[in-house]
Amino acid sequence: MADEPIIQTKSLTKAYGPHVALENLNINIPRGATGLLGQNGAGKSTFLKTILGLIQATSGEGTVLGYDIRNQGVEIRQRIGYMPEYDALNPDMDAIHQVRYSGELLGMNPVVAMNRAHEALQFVGMGEQRYREIGSFSTGMKQATKLACAIIHDPDLLIADEPSNGLDMKAREFMISTLNTMVNDANRSILMASHLMDDVERVCENIILLHKGTLAAQGKIEDLKAIDREIEIHVWGGATPLEQRLLDQGFRVRREGRVMRIAHTREDTTTSILQAAADVGAQIRRMHEYEASLEDLFLAIMDNLGYSVKSSDDLLKSPIEARRVDAPESLGGGAA
Amino acid sequence: MSDENLTPEAPVTGQGRMDVAWGANTGDEHPDEVQRASTPQSGEIFEQLYTPWTGQLNPRWMRNWSILRHHLLGIFKKGHRPWTMPTRIFILIAFLASLSDAGMTLLSGLVGSSEFHSLFGVSRDNLYGHVLGFFPRNVLYYPIVAALLVGGVISEDRQHGTSALYFSRPISRFDYVGMKFLSVAMIQALVVLITYVLYFLAEVVAFGRGWAWMVDIFPMFLAGMIAGLLLIFTYTSIGLSLSSVSTGRFFPGIGLLAIVFGTKTLASIVKNLFEREILYLISPYDCVAHVGQALIGTQTTYDQYSWTYSLVALVAMNALALYVLASRVASMEVTRE
Repeated sequence: MADEPIIQTKSLTKAYGPHVALENLNINIPRGATGLLGQNGAGKSTFLKTILGLIQATSGEGTVLGYDIRNQGVEIRQRIGYMPEYDALNPDMDAIHQVRYSGELLGMNPVVAMNRAHEALQFVGMGEQRYREIGSFSTGMKQATKLACAIIHDPDLLIADEPSNGLDMKAREFMISTLNTMVNDANRSILMASHLMDDVERVCENIILLHKGTLAAQGKIEDLKAIDREIEIHVWGGATPLEQRLLDQGFRVRREGRVMRIAHTREDTTTSILQAAADVGAQIRRMHEYEASLEDLFLAIMDNLGYSVKSSDDLLKSPIEARRVDAPESLGGGAA
Repeated sequence: MSDENLTPEAPVTGQGRMDVAWGANTGDEHPDEVQRASTPQSGEIFEQLYTPWTGQLNPRWMRNWSILRHHLLGIFKKGHRPWTMPTRIFILIAFLASLSDAGMTLLSGLVGSSEFHSLFGVSRDNLYGHVLGFFPRNVLYYPIVAALLVGGVISEDRQHGTSALYFSRPISRFDYVGMKFLSVAMIQALVVLITYVLYFLAEVVAFGRGWAWMVDIFPMFLAGMIAGLLLIFTYTSIGLSLSSVSTGRFFPGIGLLAIVFGTKTLASIVKNLFEREILYLISPYDCVAHVGQALIGTQTTYDQYSWTYSLVALVAMNALALYVLASRVASMEVTRE
């Protein structure tokens, strides 16, 4: 049971008329923390709505915590906690009553809901502020209150949509550590959609990358990173001839000034780099295996998909451009 | 640090840097004092502990009850739906004002004047007047109460994104809109129908009416109750449909008042100018009033067409309002609003 995926889809497809939002998704999300990545319009929201049982899939099937997404949406939503990205709190209510009400909406009786609201708010670091009106809260406090609303019934799976979005450094650290506590100490599972690669990497063990409604990558972050191993060298003098020599030898080279990263795809990569440097007379002053970040992994995957982007921000934080990518051609989309 | 150490000939030991780094004291403190200064007492200000919960969640009726309770109790106390203070005050004023005929009935019982009683006591016309009389109840009280209530009920869920709080939980759209509808209707019923019942009871108490009188009057009383329900249903469905297409509380409230009073005024102008009453069919209040007159059996004030036309118009306008409400609520998002 423990090894069974908490979310599983088979050939899941969702189409809105001619526009296919999700196409033939075969996803297995294990217990633990999983990051859901993808540019705007990639299908993340549609995927979340589908697994919450809020919209019917056009074809295919799926389960969440063992419940069928096609006809057991109520059971699913009773057992998961959903923390929305956008404001979902009444600014005229105080936090304790807002969280209690969210528990009551799940079917808790008012007394139990009030007790749990106190526990949940304590967990997310809301002390006396819980008696203040939400309208006077900072973004961090609102995020914490949303998290408390989502975990009031101690769900097996927390779906957190951009949990650290818009937070200052301190609040962001606290949110990340809270999510980590849920995963590591409380042994709960999290599906975390985020634009912030660092945060995903710090919380999640696995990722799912959606692109234009299709599955671009899924698996453990460590395993995926291993696909894209690189050797980083710092070159003094002759960097351009060295780069050219390595390219001529069939290596994939990324260069930023004197720093080059060469794809570590062959047994003799290190020797070849040193030999090439000796041949062109370049000095290699530093050489080490480069540990890719999730950002690098994302860029590598997007590169493989044919996108030329410098950072995830280009795609993830540019809604107009991103929408152009995913919109049907009849609506002016199709170009990156 | 001694003075000889500060001479130019003194060797460079790094002592000066250490003094700057660690403080300018002499180093002769009591060891305990140093210990206290270097390692302050540790105390837990915030310990983050996740508390599991193994309770059972109640079924659908309890979830629906929580929505109803949230809205109803919000009128009376803090911690539930935060109705605005003007709304609460106006409901209280409308409630007390709606009890005026009950008060006058009690007074006529005390005075013992039959003329007084014929003006204010329970009769076919007065039962109609309590629920559907245009002035003052359907000008000053009931539509304004409805407008204040429906204003933000759905629109504020759009505005604040709190729709996600409902739909990410096991709440269906039907339950959501049904409970919102019911809660708004019940608060209006407090003003319209509870005062109607109290009026009836005031007559029983003030004049010592027996079972025979009650049984005799009951059909009229029931007809008035049904007319009141029709009025509440109509105001609520139109108001909530306006609330569902808005993201603020002003437009739905003012929109409801504009529809109720605008159509009535337009129809009145047309009637006065052209002696044609047919335009009353677009006025929600007049349609309910016409049907209510037929139900209670009082003399009709609409002479040019049958009450069944008003009933059909009433059904049509409610159907339209409920269609708009249902389709707009169906479009409310969970992931973003």
